Amino acid sequence: MAEIVGGFGVPHVPHFPSWVAGGHPLAPEISRLYDGVAGHLRAAEPDTLVVFTSDHYNEFFETVPIFCIGVADSASGASDYDTIPQREVRLDAELAHDLHAALVQGGFDVAMSRELAFDHTVIGPLHFLVPDDDVAVVPVFVSGFMRPLPTARRCYALGAAIRDGVERLGGRRRVALLASGSVSLEIGGPWVDEGSHTGVPEPAWLDRVVELLRAGDVDTLVAEATDERLALAGNAAGELLDWIVMLGAIDQSPPAFLESQPAFGHAFAAWPA
Amino acid sequence: MSVYAVDKLCRRVVHDAALRDALARSPEETLRAAAPALSEEEVQLLLAGDVGRLSRLGANSFLLHQLGRFHLLGLDLPTHGRRMRAEYAAERAARWGGPR
Repeated sequence: MAEIVGGFGVPHVPHFPSWVAGGHPLAPEISRLYDGVAGHLRAAEPDTLVVFTSDHYNEFFETVPIFCIGVADSASGASDYDTIPQREVRLDAELAHDLHAALVQGGFDVAMSRELAFDHTVIGPLHFLVPDDDVAVVPVFVSGFMRPLPTARRCYALGAAIRDGVERLGGRRRVALLASGSVSLEIGGPWVDEGSHTGVPEPAWLDRVVELLRAGDVDTLVAEATDERLALAGNAAGELLDWIVMLGAIDQSPPAFLESQPAFGHAFAAWPA
Repeated sequence: MSVYAVDKLCRRVVHDAALRDALARSPEETLRAAAPALSEEEVQLLLAGDVGRLSRLGANSFLLHQLGRFHLLGLDLPTHGRRMRAEYAAERAARWGGPR
């Protein structure tokens, strides 16, 4: 049977790959944080990485599914930033197909995309965590930008359904789960910082999320991640829902690695099984 | 204001290099040819790069910032940020009680 070998969470600032490549002053810190997660991910030896991400109006615009799984052989990207090295990503179409069927038959009406591209929210994290083509990907899109957003409780339940679906699949497969997203982040909206087009409107919310993650208290996180709270935390703060789906698929426990980057409103974390 | 037409234009800017070239070369002509059609108010606000007012009227602020990212309609990212902060200065003061 397939088994889940760990849950992981990282941000996807589109400039991080070029900053690291170009020797930006923050490059050592960015590399250290991604390496902190990558070490645990590599040690888990996954065959497949299920990536939870919120499309930034690139793949879904005219039609916007609340949840969607990519069922295809490959996908390229980043579709929205040519400053990130472009790549073709191998997908695990078999697992995606079977997982999609298990979710729908289990009562979760997840949409399916059979032809897709990835934006920086997938390609950015893969750039640091899976630089080679040795791990196949299954993308799961969670609508984290265009309201109405799914509730945190529904996202948590989706995670549990994904865990159940993966563990019922035939064949031997090691499956890791990756959430891509921030906690408090405003991009281009009213709450941006002076001199910037981005901002962190609610640093206290980031601290609270990190506190709850460190304590392994996901139930409280789900209860506190209301739509109102996410809206106050910024127009990209719905990305926390990607983390909550991932957390729903693993045991509630303190992470083996957790570090925030307050200036950006996000965190890096690893829960190896 | 249709909102969706503005959002769609900004979204296309990211993925349509020909549209970016046209907006840089002939902004008014390009805006008036947009599909779905922009209202006269939307055309004028876009030509003025008034992203704050467009946001106030309901356009998606994340998508609006793509105009500044690609240096269109007299915008760049710092200008986008300044105009957005200025439009929402009262709300910012009410939320945070002072400059931030």
